[in-house]
Amino acid sequence: MLTPAELVWLIAAVAKGDEAAFERLYAATRAKLFGVVLRILRRQELAEEVIQETYVKIWNSAGQFNPGLSSPITWMASIARNRAIDVVRKRTEVSIEEEPTALEVAADGHDPLARREMTEELKRLLECVGRLEPERQKLVLLAYYNGWSREQLAAKFETPVNTVKTWLRRSMMDIRECLGL
Amino acid sequence: MMAYSEDDIARAIEYALGTLDAEERAQVEAKMSVEKDFTAMVRAWEYKLGVLNEMVGPIEPSPELWDRIKSVTGVSQPQEPVLLPELARPVPETPEPVATTAAGVDDSAASVIRLSAQVRRWRGVASFTTAIAAALVAMLALGAYQPDLLPNAIRPKPRTQVAEVRPSPTPAQQPAQAPQYVAVLQKDAGSPAFILTVDGATKNFIVRRVAAQPEPGRSYELWIVSDKLQRPRSLGVIGADDFTARPVLAAYAPEIVDQATYAVTIEPEGGSPTGVATGPIVFTGKLVETVPPAASGPGKP
Repeated sequence: MLTPAELVWLIAAVAKGDEAAFERLYAATRAKLFGVVLRILRRQELAEEVIQETYVKIWNSAGQFNPGLSSPITWMASIARNRAIDVVRKRTEVSIEEEPTALEVAADGHDPLARREMTEELKRLLECVGRLEPERQKLVLLAYYNGWSREQLAAKFETPVNTVKTWLRRSMMDIRECLGL
Repeated sequence: MMAYSEDDIARAIEYALGTLDAEERAQVEAKMSVEKDFTAMVRAWEYKLGVLNEMVGPIEPSPELWDRIKSVTGVSQPQEPVLLPELARPVPETPEPVATTAAGVDDSAASVIRLSAQVRRWRGVASFTTAIAAALVAMLALGAYQPDLLPNAIRPKPRTQVAEVRPSPTPAQQPAQAPQYVAVLQKDAGSPAFILTVDGATKNFIVRRVAAQPEPGRSYELWIVSDKLQRPRSLGVIGADDFTARPVLAAYAPEIVDQATYAVTIEPEGGSPTGVATGPIVFTGKLVETVPPAASGPGKP
């Protein structure tokens, strides 16, 4: 992965229509974004469609990226993830049992716990998530990483949907307070 | 920023989290299209939560995807490389897409595709385990960082650090394809003391110290406990450093390693003199698979 500063520079070049910069940006970020959306969509071809739309959007709206608000990869991942969530919510619900895909090879060659680069922002957020009860932590993280709907979460936690709704809301409000927002 | 009701705020956050249904998402987007402040709040939460993606491992899409994107955006093949200002040319984590000729097909992407085909044989694997892998990783990271939680702005470097252990005895082992196991050794749910990770291929393990410090003159000793073993066997004293890495698990059959309970006892300094645990068990845990193995032999030809 390029450094955030390099990605910012590339996005700025993309905003001016620099095609070579666009290709470099794609090369540097595609696997990360694909990892994020495949986890949610769980089907290679759907995930690739979303990635395609994501990069088209990045090409067209690179000028809107504001490095003061987020890191480049977070901005790009937000576009991809939003699109993935839209797709998954509009489909008839994906079963949580749906067959695994290339997800199983998500190993990036490292012990996943040994990730060196954990930003201060992530640590801070995880600390706040960590103040929730263990079940709620799991709820929030499953919702985020797997893009599960309240119905899927309700099935997983064997709890009425309305309860999940309440838990989610309280959990997120607790996180908000913990973050001091 | 204008003051929003708690309902609006909750909506914005849940939109960013992704748990709203299609209709609610549409409502939020409609509101965003007319209210700049509301949009800013939603985006801020997207970015706030977006750091969670740091924990998601990269996966290569098909090499053809770039061609599709190029044709949709009308981007042509660039003629010259971009030079980044004032920076040494960085090495991208992922290979540059070479594509175009059959011979030049991106090696790693190709092997990912082959892997994914082979992985279909994995259908039977409990998909739940897979699904929560990232969540688990994040939670473990969380456990690891909690002890450092301080009620103020300045936080010391986390006590856990990264040790890279070379899989010593087995040559040509591709670590990416080995299952990774992790156990949190703890007294109770809220207090992880050690994180034990085991590489499925090499059986090397690493014990990561999260919170525990033995009393002076005492040592923590790690044991493997299994009904297939006549008695708990010592895996050695956990060193004073943050990390203790050893290959001794290779001596045990895989099913024992997978199923065993791992326990930490307090022993005299330097470990039990008799080879039998003498002190109380203070922390225990079992292994959970975090990264399932790929099917055998998918490496490069």
